[in-house]
Amino acid sequence: MSRSESFEALRGTNPRNEASFAEAVDAAGAEVRLRIATARATDEPRLRRVRPGGRLLGASAAGVALAAGAVVAVFLTVVSSGVTPGVENAAAAIKKAATLTAASAEQSGTVTVRITHDGQLWASKAIRWNGNDVEISDHSHGGPSSGSPLLVVNGLLYGHDPQHEGWVQLGPVSSIDPGSGTTPAEQLDAIRQDVGGTTLRRMVAAMSANGLTTKDQRDGSTVYGGTVAAGQIARETGFKEGQTIRVFPFGYVAHGAAADPASLLDTAVTVGSQGVIRNIAVTWGAWTYTVVYSSLGSTPPLVAPAHATSLLEERMRAAHGR
Amino acid sequence: MSEDRRQRFDGLFAAYGPDIVAYCGWRAPSPTDAQDAAADVFLTAWRRIDSVPEGEAARVWLYATARRVLANQRRSRRRHVALRERLAAEPSAIPSSDAVNPEAALVHEALARLGVLDREVLLLSEGEGLSPAQIGTVLGCIAVTARGRLHRARRRFRSIFEELSAEEHGERHSRPVSEIPATSVTHTVGGKT
Repeated sequence: MSRSESFEALRGTNPRNEASFAEAVDAAGAEVRLRIATARATDEPRLRRVRPGGRLLGASAAGVALAAGAVVAVFLTVVSSGVTPGVENAAAAIKKAATLTAASAEQSGTVTVRITHDGQLWASKAIRWNGNDVEISDHSHGGPSSGSPLLVVNGLLYGHDPQHEGWVQLGPVSSIDPGSGTTPAEQLDAIRQDVGGTTLRRMVAAMSANGLTTKDQRDGSTVYGGTVAAGQIARETGFKEGQTIRVFPFGYVAHGAAADPASLLDTAVTVGSQGVIRNIAVTWGAWTYTVVYSSLGSTPPLVAPAHATSLLEERMRAAHGR
Repeated sequence: MSEDRRQRFDGLFAAYGPDIVAYCGWRAPSPTDAQDAAADVFLTAWRRIDSVPEGEAARVWLYATARRVLANQRRSRRRHVALRERLAAEPSAIPSSDAVNPEAALVHEALARLGVLDREVLLLSEGEGLSPAQIGTVLGCIAVTARGRLHRARRRFRSIFEELSAEEHGERHSRPVSEIPATSVTHTVGGKT
């Protein structure tokens, strides 16, 4: 093999050679324009403030007019859609809610994720965390871990095992290979990303760009409605049974129209009177995907199960013939 | 943003958007990650448009920014992968076009076996066409250092690629056809798995 052959092969893998490269550049351009539009809409905090009720009120008519004018100019330039100042205020409000939600979820929280089809429960999962402790309960019917939560308390991992009654102490989390991508600290980071990090920011950005509606509820909450391309919600791609799949936050495969990244899915985000997101509902066809937030910052400490069987001790006893 | 600055930004994306998308596409673990990273790079440029140098130096500035964005993305991705692995009820793996291109798989494997910096200088040179001086700017070292590293990286890449090619060739001739996988995809480039 000549020297040039190896470098020819290297150059052959340049992404520029791929048929879809122009499409990728266009997609990146659309993505950056979307982010700029959203950032521009909310990068003027001095000109706005949030009322305790969660809705926005301009600090001064001139200030709002100035900010809204600038925002509209950017939107007309980069998104080419008609946007009113009211929509921009809503965009700023929902972004602030996402930020506040992320901050509230930092120490502790609870989320319940549900997918229904034709009104029937398809899958469900509850996640609680407090500090470095976390509990994950999968309530999906027939799922591999249906009804058997996974728990980490004080650095020890607990679960259920078909061979044992009740809880089993699986061992210290420090024994998990850090490279395996399963350490509880990494899980918690990922959960926080899905609860209030980049996942939520992306959804909120897409809703803002596509046109937001708001509806004030009697209980002081506000429902923000809009559409989000499925690809903005189910970002993770994968491969299953010969088919490309997309995965929703918290690990669920997107079915039906949601599997098409270009499909626009109806999305509703409810922000409570305290300005924190209460739930997110995404609907398409007969499917509904909901994430319900609760006790953000006030979820009680998790407690280690009493009388858990230590798998490690049991194996040591077995090894010594006792 | 004033009209002048907006026009400058638009010009920046028109001129260098494809370069940054290609740079990220070569290093990010999936097309969506590459798209995210490229968008982050230009969002940074938009926010700091007054700091972006003029002319060809702007391209080098964007590469340097992309390098930092991708490093952040890799750290963040580890956390996401953790959740997917533990929480996903159904398996997920990133598909790759390399699955039908054994030579590309060999290239990726060879790149993966290089050190991080060797890989970076090689791709900046061969993929992006940067000079040693420009590579030095992206990596934060002097041109002489970049040139030396590039020389070593080229030599190592060639050696590893030839070794892998020989192994691949030997395997195909020493094993029954039925045992040879339809694809030989084990590659890692900038975190690609």
